[in-house]
Amino acid sequence: MENTAAKLCGVSYIYSEKTPFEKVAVDGVDVTLEEGMVTGLIGHTGSGKSTVAQMLNGLLRPTSGEVYVLGRNIWENPKDIRRVRFEAGLVFQYPEYQLFEETVARDIAFGPRNMGLPEEEISSRVAEAMAFVGLDASLSEKSPFDLSGGQKRRVALAGVMAMQPKILILDEPAAGLDPRGRDEILSGVVRYKERTGATVVMISHSMEDMARYCDRILVMNDGKPYLYGTPEVVFSEAERLEKVGLSVPQITRLMAELRRRGYPVSASVYTVEAALAEIRKLTGGDRA
Amino acid sequence: MAETIIKTEKLCFEYEKNEGEEKTQVLRSLDLTVERGSFVAVLGHNGSGKSTLAKVLNLLVTPTSGKVWLFGKEINEETMTEDELYEIRRRVGMVFQNPDNQLVATIVEEDVAFGPENIGVEPSEIRRRVDEALETVGMTAFARHSPHQLSGGQKQRVAIAGILALRPEIIVFDESTAMLDPMGRREVLDTIRKLNRDNGTTILMITHYMDEAIDADRVIVLDDGRIVLDGTPREVFSHVEEVRAAGLDVPQITELTYRLGLSGTPITAEEGADAIEALITNRQERN
Repeated sequence: MENTAAKLCGVSYIYSEKTPFEKVAVDGVDVTLEEGMVTGLIGHTGSGKSTVAQMLNGLLRPTSGEVYVLGRNIWENPKDIRRVRFEAGLVFQYPEYQLFEETVARDIAFGPRNMGLPEEEISSRVAEAMAFVGLDASLSEKSPFDLSGGQKRRVALAGVMAMQPKILILDEPAAGLDPRGRDEILSGVVRYKERTGATVVMISHSMEDMARYCDRILVMNDGKPYLYGTPEVVFSEAERLEKVGLSVPQITRLMAELRRRGYPVSASVYTVEAALAEIRKLTGGDRA
Repeated sequence: MAETIIKTEKLCFEYEKNEGEEKTQVLRSLDLTVERGSFVAVLGHNGSGKSTLAKVLNLLVTPTSGKVWLFGKEINEETMTEDELYEIRRRVGMVFQNPDNQLVATIVEEDVAFGPENIGVEPSEIRRRVDEALETVGMTAFARHSPHQLSGGQKQRVAIAGILALRPEIIVFDESTAMLDPMGRREVLDTIRKLNRDNGTTILMITHYMDEAIDADRVIVLDDGRIVLDGTPREVFSHVEEVRAAGLDVPQITELTYRLGLSGTPITAEEGADAIEALITNRQERN
């Protein structure tokens, strides 16, 4: 249990139970989140991944089964559920639509202020969170609505980081951003994780982002875990991924093609760096 | 000679963010010519001006200066009648990013009928167009469904059908796959390709996904309101450094072969494997 940040034990979630619209979103799932890891959650629409994310911070209460966060069964005392939301911070999809304050600093301070922290602590957390996401301090007094889309997204992320959650859950943090914006936001997440030792859960549709930023990948399908492991393990299952409507990174596909043609390259290559190393082995090591 | 369907000359757009402050230049003297029936991908980082360009073409935004010709006719909002402007908007359809913001009715087929109803198409003709549009996007089976029960990709296809029912000649897709999962993206991309190939619709596809641009006939890269690269996907992606300087990535395979020092800019897994195979064979012969 020591290196487990959160755990779902036999968890099911049924939407609109006992109505004609009843839908089992999550079906008897056992999932363990390893502490200090970035776990990627992937699966097509309706696979149950967002439901899992929302159960991890107590936003949804499972229809059956138990959710443990930092070793505690979070629904043992439902009145205490607010605490879980501070421990496990959830960043929704398109969180920039939820900004509302007059200044960037006040928007980021909203969470820590709700936690009842002293003012000095709040301002130091706000400054720190802005640094995590790479927002310049000169933006503090600006209206969040004058910022670019990518900056707004980072303000929203900083607002959750300022609560210093031990588990940071992100639902498609990079959706709709350009490559630069994507790198800025995701490297902010990595910085937060490295500085605080937090556990990160990240939902994404981008296999390339998963390959680059995640230590573990959990593939969901039809409300159940389908594949789990390191990116090497998961991406070496190209066929199984394609069967559930997912794909492997482009570079993994290239390596599979080379293998098919009889070259002894690894099937679990998913970054350009690793592919370069593999190919240089074949060409005799020197720089091609 | 292919017909020019879109042409802009020294197209500029600027706006004042805050009163009295320096103006923000969004489009800087943009010259663009697009031929009828082509499939053009428009790439650029956020703020590069690509969405503004899309809105200029749909007459949602009036340029600060410069000229625009659509269907061979110069656009002039002062001399053109309201009806003429509406007619241009009908001929240039737009599909946006968020599927939820584009659907207005509670039943799929009613949503698709919304556009033609608004422009006063005969009811029997509306029926025909709705059926045809749903057929084209593969959503006939969902005609009587409620849009909120559909997946993102399905909703986006309904939004496309709504545009098709207006019989546009150009469709501009403004990051229409950004909010979709891989399956939804594939559905929408297949639909876009089909419209271009089978109906001959001119496509302008704004996207952040480099791998989507591979399918286009032509790729345009915008940076800071200017066209910095323009060519076939292969030509554009061969300029790895310039693409990066514009705040974009190249496809992984292109990056790999670039770093291996290979020429030819492979963009698919097969082409990449061919190039690497050639490299290996070459090495073995030398040793």
